[in-house]
Amino acid sequence: MTPPILMSLKNVSKTYIMGEVKVEALKTTTLDVYEGELLVILGPSGSGKSTLLNLMGGIDQPSAGEIFFAGKPLTSAGEKEMTNYRRREVGFVFQFYNLIPDLTAAENVALAAELVHKPRPVNEVLEEVGLLDRRDHFPSQLSGGEQQRVAIARALVKQPRLLLCDEPTGALDFETGKRVLRLLYDIRQKGSGTVIIVTHNTAIGAIADRVVRMRSGSIADITINQNPVPPERIDW
Amino acid sequence: MTTLTRKLLRTITSGWGQFVALVLIVMLGVMIYISMNTAYSNLSQSQERFYQEYRFADYTFTVVKAPESVISRIEAVPGVIKATGRVQKDIPIVKAEDERATGRLTGYPLPQEGEVNRLHLLSGSWFEESPAGNIGVLVDPQFFVANHLTAGDSLEVIAGGKKVVLTVIGTAVSPEFVYPMPDAAALVPEPERFGIIMIPQIQAQQILGYPGQINQVVVDLAPGADETAVVREIERILEPYGNLASYPRRDQLSHAALQAELDGLKTMSGSLPLVFFLIAAAIQFVIINRLIKTQRLPIGVMKALGYSSFQIIGNYTGYALLVSGVGAVLGIITGIGMAAGMSQVYAQFFNLPSTIGGINLSVVIRSVVISLVVGGAAGLFASRSVVRIRPAEAMRPEPPASGKHTLLENWTWLWQHLDSSWKMSLRSILRNRVRFAITVLGVVFFVCLLIFALFSNDAVDYLVQQSFTLSNRYDYIVRFTQPVKYEDITYWNRWSEVQKIEPLLEVPVKIKAGDRAEDELLVGAQVTGELRKVYDMHGQQKQIPEEGILLNKSTADKLGIKPGDEVEVHTTLGIGPTRTERLRIVGLNQPMSGSGSFISWETANRLLGESRVVSAVMLKLDRPEMKEVEKRLYEMTSVSSVMSPQREQAAFLQYMDTIIVFIAIMVLMAGLLGLAIVYNTSLMTFQERQRELASLRVLGFSRREIAGLLRKETGVQAVLGIIIGLPAGKAMGNVLMASISTDLYSMPAVIYPRTYFIAALLALVFIGIGQQLAIRKTGQIDMVEALKNRD
Repeated sequence: MTPPILMSLKNVSKTYIMGEVKVEALKTTTLDVYEGELLVILGPSGSGKSTLLNLMGGIDQPSAGEIFFAGKPLTSAGEKEMTNYRRREVGFVFQFYNLIPDLTAAENVALAAELVHKPRPVNEVLEEVGLLDRRDHFPSQLSGGEQQRVAIARALVKQPRLLLCDEPTGALDFETGKRVLRLLYDIRQKGSGTVIIVTHNTAIGAIADRVVRMRSGSIADITINQNPVPPERIDW
Repeated sequence: MTTLTRKLLRTITSGWGQFVALVLIVMLGVMIYISMNTAYSNLSQSQERFYQEYRFADYTFTVVKAPESVISRIEAVPGVIKATGRVQKDIPIVKAEDERATGRLTGYPLPQEGEVNRLHLLSGSWFEESPAGNIGVLVDPQFFVANHLTAGDSLEVIAGGKKVVLTVIGTAVSPEFVYPMPDAAALVPEPERFGIIMIPQIQAQQILGYPGQINQVVVDLAPGADETAVVREIERILEPYGNLASYPRRDQLSHAALQAELDGLKTMSGSLPLVFFLIAAAIQFVIINRLIKTQRLPIGVMKALGYSSFQIIGNYTGYALLVSGVGAVLGIITGIGMAAGMSQVYAQFFNLPSTIGGINLSVVIRSVVISLVVGGAAGLFASRSVVRIRPAEAMRPEPPASGKHTLLENWTWLWQHLDSSWKMSLRSILRNRVRFAITVLGVVFFVCLLIFALFSNDAVDYLVQQSFTLSNRYDYIVRFTQPVKYEDITYWNRWSEVQKIEPLLEVPVKIKAGDRAEDELLVGAQVTGELRKVYDMHGQQKQIPEEGILLNKSTADKLGIKPGDEVEVHTTLGIGPTRTERLRIVGLNQPMSGSGSFISWETANRLLGESRVVSAVMLKLDRPEMKEVEKRLYEMTSVSSVMSPQREQAAFLQYMDTIIVFIAIMVLMAGLLGLAIVYNTSLMTFQERQRELASLRVLGFSRREIAGLLRKETGVQAVLGIIIGLPAGKAMGNVLMASISTDLYSMPAVIYPRTYFIAALLALVFIGIGQQLAIRKTGQIDMVEALKNRD
């Protein structure tokens, strides 16, 4: 039995006009995202994977096609609805963490918590990412991996139904990267949300329920992983 | 054009608003500098030239009556170059409907060549040698205009107890009537009711009954002459003729008023523009500093390519120089325009025949040099950090800005109650201390300027309140041509309109203490009187003493005496013999204007050896301004003038209308400054945190919430600036008022609570606009940018 669909993209495309050149970043694409799955989108740079992520995260609008989240159309939503969508439904993890330098780890998490009605307790989330003892440190006092874990905590505190991660290990070393992946893997295992990871690192595909491969702005193939492996067992 | 120059121009066009805001500040500085300095130099040159060419007296002596021959004796005194003797007397002018004005009839010996206080003909014709018919007179231009006169009109005056008809043949001015005021007690000229009547000496002597005699000597002293010695010698010569008063040029009313304006202008033209330049420099410093931080990578690349630090510094300094250059050009254009406007305003106030207009090249050049030097220095200073940038390091991404705990966090209660966005804003502010300080200082100065602009209105209002409402509670003050018995007047009480009548006896005296002497007007009023109350400049009520003198503080200071001391008082009324009495100083008074020295009516009478005599009476009517009463008063030949505070107040307020323009210009300039400062700071904050804000947008912050973050940050600095700026403005007002206070006027820096409120409100409005202009940019936040790789 297939799990219910959380998000679906129907004939979505995105064209950027850069000066006099039209760049077709995403060709007509159709994709369903299931509730509770861990989806990895793989592809080299320029393959359209980031564009896809931006569209799903509601920070960009498609040039054509429709996007539905939990059955409701996102494409016709206004500025205010889009803000609310990002606020309530989506958690974002960036490649370069993008923490607020003037806030401590706990405060960075609290900043996101203040946006929603029923956030998780800040300390609980920090504990989950293993950083409770560093809660009062500023980003400049944390390592890259620690910063990324704070960023994940910041995303998780809102209890989003969709967690979008853009190259979450891209700036991290091997060991640290695997620790971060473990966190994302655990979220899926606990069934606390849908996780989408965008990366060029093919090895990461092994931990996913499904892998979407992108090439030149369109989906090349989708494979279902019958036996996802925990991050400890992958290598790159 | 080199590529580096092109890069500079691109930097400017990409941050267009910021460049414009900076140019604006420099422009305002140059504009103020040029307009004030030009106005100052024009006015002071006109003054100097007029004084020089028309031989403005160094000293003036007044006597009861002296033969003309005394002049040659005075001219024989070593140190005296020239002395002119003349008759001068204030006489009633009978206008239409029997209304009165006062004319200061002044005789001029003909021919005028070489005389002291010579006349300059402005319009009409010169005195005829042997006039047929009426006597031709010249009047001052303000009186001429205010009374709608044309050449050939006749002017009826009362002189020597009879009506005389004069013919106005034109207008003229002399250095002593640049600012024609009847006396120090008048707040402003009232040209409808006071004018200078200039007449050939012989005719003046005829109609005033001074054949071959004079009552005034004006003296031109040799440069470097021992003034005190010369004056003592002249006073000795004049002693037998009843030497009433003598005063130097600096105490001459018209001169003092003009000089006070010049002094104020000089103070302002020196300091005010400088502050604008410094603020512009400080903000440029911060902007260029930031520019270099954000352009670390391109700087690193340029260095790697082989550009020297010096070339790159030159490039960034070029930004500052360009700001200064463009600002200077615009400032010159507007400054010259404004200088012309100011000169026009001065021409209305002061009768200066040759107001030197036009452009003062040295002022223009100086303004350019100052703005370029200050701007260049800021640029060099800010871009010196370029030297420390190493190419390899610059090309690596920068570590995250280091967040720090701040002292504020020790205040746990407060800190715990702040939400994350407040914490973020406060820490960010405290991280950028220099910018924080510069912004706060900028806002402080901006608020100071606002207060400064607004408070002149309060000062005027206070003055009006004090003198027209609190002090003078009568409806009319009626002066007599000579002292009369009070009992001869009291029948006015029976007039149905008269509610109350009170006597006044004004006694001009010379007060001697040790070897020092000062002329003073003692106002004798009833101790229990209700129509004339005494309030000092601080609004404190003073009691008129039964015995002794409540003395003007500045006179007391000049005499070096204090309450409790006894002084010798000599009457100088000009009628009857001089009388001397010793009186005790019982108190000091600091009036805002006028004599401010009071004695009881009884003491005044005793001083003159009289009893129950008045020189004037005050009337309180059922309703103010009753034409009927006025008409009755004017019919009496013994009445020399009828003054109404209401009318005086109206004239004063009308006169002060020009202040409104001044206030508006100042508020506008201050506002533009505040707006530019806040715009720049907000924009910088925004630009620096663009990536941060983009990620917040992705996290789900709405545009309004992002704008709120920025508002908090600049808002804290703005509010702090306002809080410090309000008392700082008051302090600035105090300094300014102290610097322009003269013997004639002294004014407290009165600032009503309302003004603080308005200033704060205006400040918030301008700050809000500046912020809003910058915050508009938050609409341009590109969320995708947050996900992109860092440079």
